[in-house]
Amino acid sequence: MNSESQSQRQESDRLEKKNWFTAIFARPEIGPLGVMILLFGLLGYFSIPEGEFSLNPFAGEGFNALGIRNNFRVIAQLGIVALGAGLLIIAGEFDLSVGSMIGFAGGCMAMILKWGFAIVIPYISFQGGFHFEGLKIFEITDVSPLTAILITLCMTLSFGWFQGWVIVKSGIASFIVTLGGLFFLRGLTEVCYRAFNRAPDQTAGSTTVTDLPDIKNIINVPGHGEMERDAAKALPNEDLLEILSNVPSQTVAKLTEQLTYINEKVALNKTAIQAKKMVETLEKSLAGAKESGNESMVEILTKKIEAGVEVPAVTAKAVTDLDIAKAYIDTIYTARPVANFFGGDILEPVFDWLYFTADWNVNMFGNQFAKGMYSCLMIWLIIALACYFVLSRTQAGNWIYSTGGNLNAAKANGVPTNKVKISLFMFTAFCATMFAACQVFEVNTADTAKGNLKELEAIAAAVIGGVVLTGGFGSILGIILGTIIFGIAKEAFFYIPGIDGSFYRVFLGAVLVSAALTNENIRKRIMGSI
Amino acid sequence: MSDSKKPLIEINNLVKKFGSFVALNGVSLDVYPGEVHALLGDNGAGKSTLIKVLAGVHPKTSGTISIEGKEVDFSTPRQATDVGIGTVYQDLALNALTSVSRNFFLGREIKKGPGPFGVMKMKEMNEITIAEMAKIGINISNPEQPVGTMSGGQRQTLAIARAIYFGAKILILDEPTSALGQKQQMEVLKTIKRVQRLGHIAIILITHNEIHARLIADRYTFLSLGEVIGKGMAEELGGDDIKKLMAGGAEIGDLRDELGA
Repeated sequence: MNSESQSQRQESDRLEKKNWFTAIFARPEIGPLGVMILLFGLLGYFSIPEGEFSLNPFAGEGFNALGIRNNFRVIAQLGIVALGAGLLIIAGEFDLSVGSMIGFAGGCMAMILKWGFAIVIPYISFQGGFHFEGLKIFEITDVSPLTAILITLCMTLSFGWFQGWVIVKSGIASFIVTLGGLFFLRGLTEVCYRAFNRAPDQTAGSTTVTDLPDIKNIINVPGHGEMERDAAKALPNEDLLEILSNVPSQTVAKLTEQLTYINEKVALNKTAIQAKKMVETLEKSLAGAKESGNESMVEILTKKIEAGVEVPAVTAKAVTDLDIAKAYIDTIYTARPVANFFGGDILEPVFDWLYFTADWNVNMFGNQFAKGMYSCLMIWLIIALACYFVLSRTQAGNWIYSTGGNLNAAKANGVPTNKVKISLFMFTAFCATMFAACQVFEVNTADTAKGNLKELEAIAAAVIGGVVLTGGFGSILGIILGTIIFGIAKEAFFYIPGIDGSFYRVFLGAVLVSAALTNENIRKRIMGSI
Repeated sequence: MSDSKKPLIEINNLVKKFGSFVALNGVSLDVYPGEVHALLGDNGAGKSTLIKVLAGVHPKTSGTISIEGKEVDFSTPRQATDVGIGTVYQDLALNALTSVSRNFFLGREIKKGPGPFGVMKMKEMNEITIAEMAKIGINISNPEQPVGTMSGGQRQTLAIARAIYFGAKILILDEPTSALGQKQQMEVLKTIKRVQRLGHIAIILITHNEIHARLIADRYTFLSLGEVIGKGMAEELGGDDIKKLMAGGAEIGDLRDELGA
């Protein structure tokens, strides 16, 4: 009897059927998801100012409009490089040169934008003593943002290709080759900065490029040509009025309405602030009166406070034509869409709606708090979506998993594992370049220290998100969660009262190691034993 | 009876030298469709070299290989696969961390779209995987389960089914039963038997295990020091002959005496 049922049991029956609950909890992303929710909770709760109580996590500094804008910038920037690092780790290699690559790419872009680009053949000249001369065979000045990014990409992708090629051809550990890349690129970047920053025009020996124009805010002002937005707003009054005279009346009406709304809001908030100040003064006097034992005074003040203070309402500022003209200049779309794509803002209509209609995106003075999200968030999400698609749906994804999971098996089945690895080294270089482009076009400066330690942070984010360092295992969703944890931990710990802010590193270290242990455990369970 | 059949693969006087070392010294071998040809021999007899030459890993030094009467020449594993030689190595070339169907189609995914960024047709791949594995006797409930969760026998079946699906007419199995438990060894033998019954596939089975060979082999070839020292049909050979030839011609009796002394 028993042996009969035993013989009908198939090997496949040993895999227990899971219900949805256990299926969800068996997913490797569940741990990181839990930690992420915990951190969001901590940040939301503790960033609410002391003395105020609110169950609404959006009330605090962590998740008010500006908090969301700034936190997701940190997350998105790390996220861009973590995706590249994560995919490469899944394929069984890793890249320590990412951080230096960011500095290098940023430097390239800024220098090309500032001084142009040339191909020079150096030669030794003896005329007037031994020295080097350069023969310019190609030169462009006044380079557009797109060209600068493309030239930089050529350089970074070639370097990524070269690192990958050395690693697959020689079989040397990627750790050593990319560690070499880390030193090489950082040094090269510094050398270039110093070579171009020369007296008298530049600060000699400086390793920064600072006075780039605000490229993303160059606009085409009617009747004045291309200029920076701030310069346009500073035009003489008669010019501003002339610009306004050509604006369609509907736009003027809409701008007037918005400006009126803003001025009223500012007036209301000013009134509220004055009332609050008045109450504070009264409470101070009350305390003083209590101390000195002035009974009648205490009584009067108590009554006054209970009755509530009346302050004269601040009248709203009138909307002038100059205000409208400046507001109009703010709405003119950029003449440098590529720079704006990387360094500008996104979701501005949503944040406008939140201010004008939802009455949420308001700072303490009544003005609009945040104008949008940083563009790098969009770039991160685009790259993440592409990575998710490639890794989980395409042939290339299967090749990446098998290259990291079992290199010999992949080779035996005809997977071009060398090409897979080299492409992914180029992809990490691509991600580093995107990171650099976002930074350069956002802040209009570059310096040699940019991207320092980002390579290790990217690896940590990937590992926290469930990627196994030996390769073959991990997911894009996990990498995203790991990045959010890494990016938000610092903010969350900053707000916890009575705790040193640096505890976030202690926390991240512990999370990193426990994540690695968990990942290894899951991997072993899946590998099973033959 | 099988003499009326034509051999699917004929190996004639195959020589393989590594420098001055003669690994194979004129090996000849005929394998017929629907038959299991056991290749036996002690360590260092040249079995592995023979497989590697047949799989296209090492080029041959001299001699001929003919498939269905036509002489073939190949120098890479891909070319060997293209002429219909499928090799299932001991390590099976599987990635334990990904799913059954992803492994089944590894390197040859069914996809729609340009180059490696083509989208894999997972549904079709899953269906084919289930069907092909069922043909040689293993029903898998979930083709999305990682290969790591499968037993050793199931993995062996997966590798064999994959080789057959991708056009192997000559299937080379490199010690498929080693490193497996008793029950799973039997499972693998059953699988080989089912492949044999398909009738159109010639199987070369490399093994150390004389008992397993005797259970399923139709023909035997014994190698020792790079040469064929004996061959024959299963029914012609006695148990003692097999034992003797497997040990490279040495008498087991001598060994018994030596150990006894």
